[in-house]
Amino acid sequence: MLLQINFKSGLPIYLQIVDQIKAVAASGALRPGEALPSIRPLAEELRVNRNTVAKAYSELESLGIIETLPGRGCFLKENHSALRKEVRRKLLTDEIDQAIVQAHHLQVPHDEFLQLVHERLTVLDGKRRDHEDQKEAPNGNAKESQKESAKKNEEAQ
Amino acid sequence: MNSQTNSPVNSLTPPIQIENLTYAYGSAEAVRDLNLTVRPGRCYGLFGRNGAGKTTTMRCLLNLLRPQSGSVRIFGLDPAKQEVEVKRSLSYVPDQVVFYPWMSIRETLDYLASFRPNWNREIERELLQRFGLDPAQRTGSLSKGQRTQVALIAAVCPETDLLVLDEPTSGLDPIVRREFIEAVIGAYQQGVPGHRTILVSTHLIAEFEGLIDEFTIMDRGHAVLTLDADHARERYQKIRVGFAQSMPDIDLRAALRVRRDGRDLELVVNGGGAELLERLRQHNPQTLSTESLTLEEIFVATLKS
Repeated sequence: MLLQINFKSGLPIYLQIVDQIKAVAASGALRPGEALPSIRPLAEELRVNRNTVAKAYSELESLGIIETLPGRGCFLKENHSALRKEVRRKLLTDEIDQAIVQAHHLQVPHDEFLQLVHERLTVLDGKRRDHEDQKEAPNGNAKESQKESAKKNEEAQ
Repeated sequence: MNSQTNSPVNSLTPPIQIENLTYAYGSAEAVRDLNLTVRPGRCYGLFGRNGAGKTTTMRCLLNLLRPQSGSVRIFGLDPAKQEVEVKRSLSYVPDQVVFYPWMSIRETLDYLASFRPNWNREIERELLQRFGLDPAQRTGSLSKGQRTQVALIAAVCPETDLLVLDEPTSGLDPIVRREFIEAVIGAYQQGVPGHRTILVSTHLIAEFEGLIDEFTIMDRGHAVLTLDADHARERYQKIRVGFAQSMPDIDLRAALRVRRDGRDLELVVNGGGAELLERLRQHNPQTLSTESLTLEEIFVATLKS
């Protein structure tokens, strides 16, 4: 997991860390039970305030995404969908609304928008499966790179 | 009487409080009516061009200069009246680091430690190793970067709750500058997480961007802008927009800066970005993008407008 801070995004730094960890957790790049980097080395590596990283971690903990085991560090929780279903739906609805508004301004019609959503779901599901494959078959590199290049072609189109 | 047991320091006392500070060298006013509060655990940036009054402000905090009017307080104490307590509660890395050139690094650190009630040998060892410094080397033969590294070690080891950095990285090479900031985060902030306060004056703003919680931009002795860093990046935005045909007639008075070229427009706004974006969208632009200004860009935009 390699986090990256973008000072031009307009998002608070701690929130960028929260969002990126949520994303790696959702994609399967970080798996339940796996350790997150400790606060100090992560803060040094990103060259951000230590308190900012600590704030991001405590936010992730209160969201039920990670847990802190005293003396051992922070780990991705086994079942990290701690938010209630309606809260999760609400959060997602806001994001979808933004994409719909953007589609309207870019003059992308409804059917094309829905098709694009399906395409993205397929691509991201593929990535998720790749992570799981890597976990089960660490030697399947040839197959991996084939799949990667196939996907790149698909994305280029 | 032990000054530590009756110290008025508690978790709510601001580490630094400056009220209506004014200082002039003869008739040349260096700082004019400055107000600034640094809350516990924060990393506060003091930004300004050379001669803006940053160093004079620092010198008043350290009792190297007496305020001509107004007041400065360190953990609620007056540096002029409670000099010993104030000196004990903070450490300082100056812009020009000077040591006795005949002393070795080891002797220098031992000498500086003798003035401190507390000195963390473990951190000292860790930082000497991290910076690749040879304790036996005489300070007279150190490079500027190495002298700054020794000064940082001497500032971190006493484990004070306030670290004052005056242009700490100017004149150093990029690698040394990075290592310096990483050591501030790793060795100093790690000490008592959430309670270590930093005041840093610099014009190399980009390097400290991730560390700064809040900042004041000074210009000709005045504070011209004080903001929380995240909030500043949210407010100051650059909007780029391109139209397919001619440029529509849009009210751009809210923009801080406007650049035009044919059908392209670049705007810098301070707040009100969302509202302006909405108005631009109504004209169906061909391209539209926004990004936040970095603290350095905000600094430039503030001083050039």
